[in-house]
Amino acid sequence: MNWNRNGMTGQVAPILDIRDIRKSFGAYQALKGVSLSVAPGEFLALVGPSGCGKTTLLKHVAGFEEPDSGAIAIDGQDMLGVPAAARPTSMVFQKLALFPHMSVADNIGFPLKLRKVDAGTIAKRVMAMIELMQLKPEYLTRFPRQLSGGEQQRVALARSMISEPKLLLLDEPLSALDVKLKKVLQAELKRLHRSVGVTFVHVTHDLEEAMMLADRICVMRAGEILQVGQPNDIYYRPADAFVAGFIGDTNLLPVEIRSVDAAGAAVAAPGIFGEARISAALMAPGLLAGPAQLMVRPELLAPLESDGRADFELDARVSEIFSKGGTVQYRAQLTDGSPLIFELAGSSTQPAGIGETIRLGFANRDIYLFQGGNAG
Amino acid sequence: MSAVIDRSWRDPALLGKALPAVLLQTTCFLAPLLMTIALTFQRTRDFQLSWTWSLHTWTDVFTKAHYWTILGHTLFMATLCVALCLLIAFPVAYALASRLRAFQNHVKVLITFAFLTDATLKTFGWVLFLDKNGAANYLARGLGFEGDAVNILFTDWATMLGMVYNLLAFAIFTIYLSIDEIDRSLVLAAYDAGASKFRAFWEVTLPLARPGIWAGAVLIFLLAVGVFLEPKVLGGGKSPMSAELIRQTFETRVNWPLGAALTMVLMTVAVFVVLLFNRVYSLKRHLGPA
Repeated sequence: MNWNRNGMTGQVAPILDIRDIRKSFGAYQALKGVSLSVAPGEFLALVGPSGCGKTTLLKHVAGFEEPDSGAIAIDGQDMLGVPAAARPTSMVFQKLALFPHMSVADNIGFPLKLRKVDAGTIAKRVMAMIELMQLKPEYLTRFPRQLSGGEQQRVALARSMISEPKLLLLDEPLSALDVKLKKVLQAELKRLHRSVGVTFVHVTHDLEEAMMLADRICVMRAGEILQVGQPNDIYYRPADAFVAGFIGDTNLLPVEIRSVDAAGAAVAAPGIFGEARISAALMAPGLLAGPAQLMVRPELLAPLESDGRADFELDARVSEIFSKGGTVQYRAQLTDGSPLIFELAGSSTQPAGIGETIRLGFANRDIYLFQGGNAG
Repeated sequence: MSAVIDRSWRDPALLGKALPAVLLQTTCFLAPLLMTIALTFQRTRDFQLSWTWSLHTWTDVFTKAHYWTILGHTLFMATLCVALCLLIAFPVAYALASRLRAFQNHVKVLITFAFLTDATLKTFGWVLFLDKNGAANYLARGLGFEGDAVNILFTDWATMLGMVYNLLAFAIFTIYLSIDEIDRSLVLAAYDAGASKFRAFWEVTLPLARPGIWAGAVLIFLLAVGVFLEPKVLGGGKSPMSAELIRQTFETRVNWPLGAALTMVLMTVAVFVVLLFNRVYSLKRHLGPA
């Protein structure tokens, strides 16, 4: 098993093991053979554009959908044909799905009530959840509509955690919140994950969120998994141009691989920079001589002093400047006309204004080379 | 909150804006009602209304058991009609909002068409169907039943059939609307929490459909209390209900004060029942489920 693409971070038995599941809705193939393993206690983020199948995959794990073929096992037990009610999973829904006719206490205690736990124990455990979620005890008698968005979020989390599931499935629960509250709850999720040790599978289209929270990220597109890996790998070593482009702003420079050997490759970008060597560690596996794409993240480019040197050097003409506060993003054009984005730390003086040309450089270690083609 | 309401009574601009609505309510609703009440305190002489104030009509109303028997019968029929309509409408509305979702527009159009067809026409249609030599008995004989197997025409059963038939759509639509509004993820959340299909229905779908059930019940009750077509045409006029009694009092007996008094009694009872309904409902909502 390739550690980077499918594997887990250790040799422990997976808590969730998905093998080659396929699902079609009519003629539409929602999942085209997806395999994924999640280690106990891991925080996995499923990301991808809308319609990529990430929520469908989550529904298969929860038991709301049955695959056409393939297998799903949770903690070593086959889950096919097991209804959602009997699975050791718990879901936090996108719209939270708090029962509007039940008080907060009844909402949180609902899973225990269904398991015929006695009222005294339920009350005790609801109280413990309230404390864990840092909600106020006086909220217990209120109804969901009387709470703020963030408080409702905490109640939804409490309800899904009270039955102590082996897997907590989160279906974009933070997507409807405003940025500030989102940040707070992201931190909260991270804290919860650390303190309770439950395995989290978190679906989101927000890449920044995935990078912040997850131990591993699984990138999907059109019903397939493109890459599974740690946030840094996904960010700096994307599997292809799509993953690179999906995750944050990036530059994909068209280059030509002149020759490949065991140690690396010699590349050149006619009209941008001359020939340079790239070590094998910075190349996608299986690259051959021919057209390729060189990825460099905007924040890794730096302006060069007049006598400065860098592994790669290029000239860019600034066309637009966006101040993001802490950083300033420059959109520019290279000498051959292809676009370039670079990001510098904000400062009171700008190294270049709109229309001016600036000399930039980046180091050999900050790049990644992969197969050419269009930068989709 | 209450401070705002108090002040609004003394706000001339606001009162001015409310004037059209107040006028409309007064001329179209309050004035006729007051006139009806005034009418109950008049007398009749030689089938003519004479404007002499008297309590004669009211003593008549409160001393004759006959009127109250009819009122009791009416309330019983209306209540039974509500119960039957809800029992039939709920599964229909539920299916429409869930399993028959793909066809729901077609089904809704069909129900609306049946619903908008003139009630008199449909009621007489039932007479033809239920007649001794009608379609029902023809079918029954075809199925091997002897003689007149369907023999309910001109009984309370036929009246009830007509009432349920004519009023059912009100319950189907109100219940459908409330079930349709239930977020599907709430039911999924119940399954996810460990609920069986029945339990999810009982704990989530049914309580959330309650507003539609109550609305349908109130609507049907008010309409059922006022039916006169069905008891006359399908019930054969043998056991009249309040609306028919009132019609007879106005038209046949030409006793307007008595008709007005019986109207007031029926209205008061109906309003009282609806208020009671409302109180129970809001109480339940306020307390929430146990």
